Amino acid sequence: MNKLLNVDRRIIYVILVIALAFPLIRPLGIPLLVNDSTTAVHAIIEGLDPATDVVLLSFDYGPSSAGDIHPQATAIVNHLTKRGIKWVGVAFWADGPMMADLLIADLEAQGGKYGTDFVNLGFMTGGENAIRSFAVDALVIPTDIRGNKTADLPVMQGIKDMNDFGFVFEFASGTPGYEAFIRQAVDPMGVKFAAGVVTVSVTGAMPFYNSGQLKGLLQGLRGAAEYELLIGIPGDGAAAMDASSLGHLVIVGFILVGNFAYFFSKKKK
Amino acid sequence: MRREIPFIITLVVGLVFLLAPLTAGNIPLVGQPFSFITATYFSPWTTIVAAFATGLASVNLLRIHANSISRKRAGWYNSVALVFALAFFFVYRTAVELLPANKALAAGYANYFNNILSPLSAAMFAVLAFYIASASYRAFRARSLEATVLLVAAVLVMIGAAPIGAEIWDQFPVIQRWLLAVPNMVGQRSIIIGAAIGGFATSLRILLGLERGHLGGE
Repeated sequence: MNKLLNVDRRIIYVILVIALAFPLIRPLGIPLLVNDSTTAVHAIIEGLDPATDVVLLSFDYGPSSAGDIHPQATAIVNHLTKRGIKWVGVAFWADGPMMADLLIADLEAQGGKYGTDFVNLGFMTGGENAIRSFAVDALVIPTDIRGNKTADLPVMQGIKDMNDFGFVFEFASGTPGYEAFIRQAVDPMGVKFAAGVVTVSVTGAMPFYNSGQLKGLLQGLRGAAEYELLIGIPGDGAAAMDASSLGHLVIVGFILVGNFAYFFSKKKK
Repeated sequence: MRREIPFIITLVVGLVFLLAPLTAGNIPLVGQPFSFITATYFSPWTTIVAAFATGLASVNLLRIHANSISRKRAGWYNSVALVFALAFFFVYRTAVELLPANKALAAGYANYFNNILSPLSAAMFAVLAFYIASASYRAFRARSLEATVLLVAAVLVMIGAAPIGAEIWDQFPVIQRWLLAVPNMVGQRSIIIGAAIGGFATSLRILLGLERGHLGGE
């Protein structure tokens, strides 16, 4: 029992690597149920009018959390593109514009028109205050990431503040995040808002979804996979779900074996 | 005056922000509402101050690590890597911002970002999975009633969140959603409301001059 209690951590690492790598090489095809918080985001975008509505996407994540969030961003942008809805990208995280540019490069390769169908306004410093400034004056960022005057961009015509966007979605991985949007734009201005968060933030975001302040919520990588399922465009989220399942099972297994060893060693003593 | 002037600024700015969402009418003599003052003047100022704070932090970081290199402290070569990366990305990004029409420069920057910084950051984040796996085996023990409740809830949420949970037993996702929607929400709301009241009380203490830590005092 002592051996089981003091197992070499490298054995744990190897078991985890095998559990994560195996389904990536040979997918298991485990069915995925869609959460209502994901369906809510999908329904909002389905309800938008491509002729009049412009969506604001706030890219508030960087490479470290991209594993969880970037598949969400890809799925949402794919949905907007599929429906012909224009979008404006902004970032209150310094790395955000680079993440948005990854998606824009793909869209331009497919024939999307920068400035008309989508735009990347870049990073605005100041955290929660910057969110407030942008909420009350969407032209507070004078130029986009390519140096074009924001007020002259076709996609920005008719947009003065955050309420002029048909829907606001934030890809959030920390501070400033969805709570800052709720405090500065949702509650005081009535902005229609939803967010995609990293898996560890789901418990913190749930009260805001249940209160209706978040109209929808994408829950980590699983949220991305569910969204891909809803729009019928499989991507990185769905591909990683089997690995996620086995990874969860292995960790639960470790907890159970660790406790089993702990109790039996205690009984012996 | 070194204390009085910052205190007066804190009081005035704090009151304006406090009154902005509570009042709608114009301020006598000014002819504008508080919300106009905050949106037009204070919010852009705070953005500028935040930008300066970022610059200040970079200078401070550079100073500490340059000192470490010059004194050849333990691990000084890590400081060399940090200073080099800081200078390289600062100069490169500044050039990209100053020459927005130069697409080759922007593409080169994106190349460094996507192929060096992104994989390194993602690898750092991914390493956490191994620590969690090791910790779940060694530390997550049912040593007390509270720890047992936490452990059972964590296992149920984990299994319910993974797609395979529904395949094992179709009630796992139902239990997981209930745990998130009811006990989790109750706990989270208590923490959020408690922290908000605490934040409000601390703000009042600062506005009234009872808390003077930000002025450099005790």
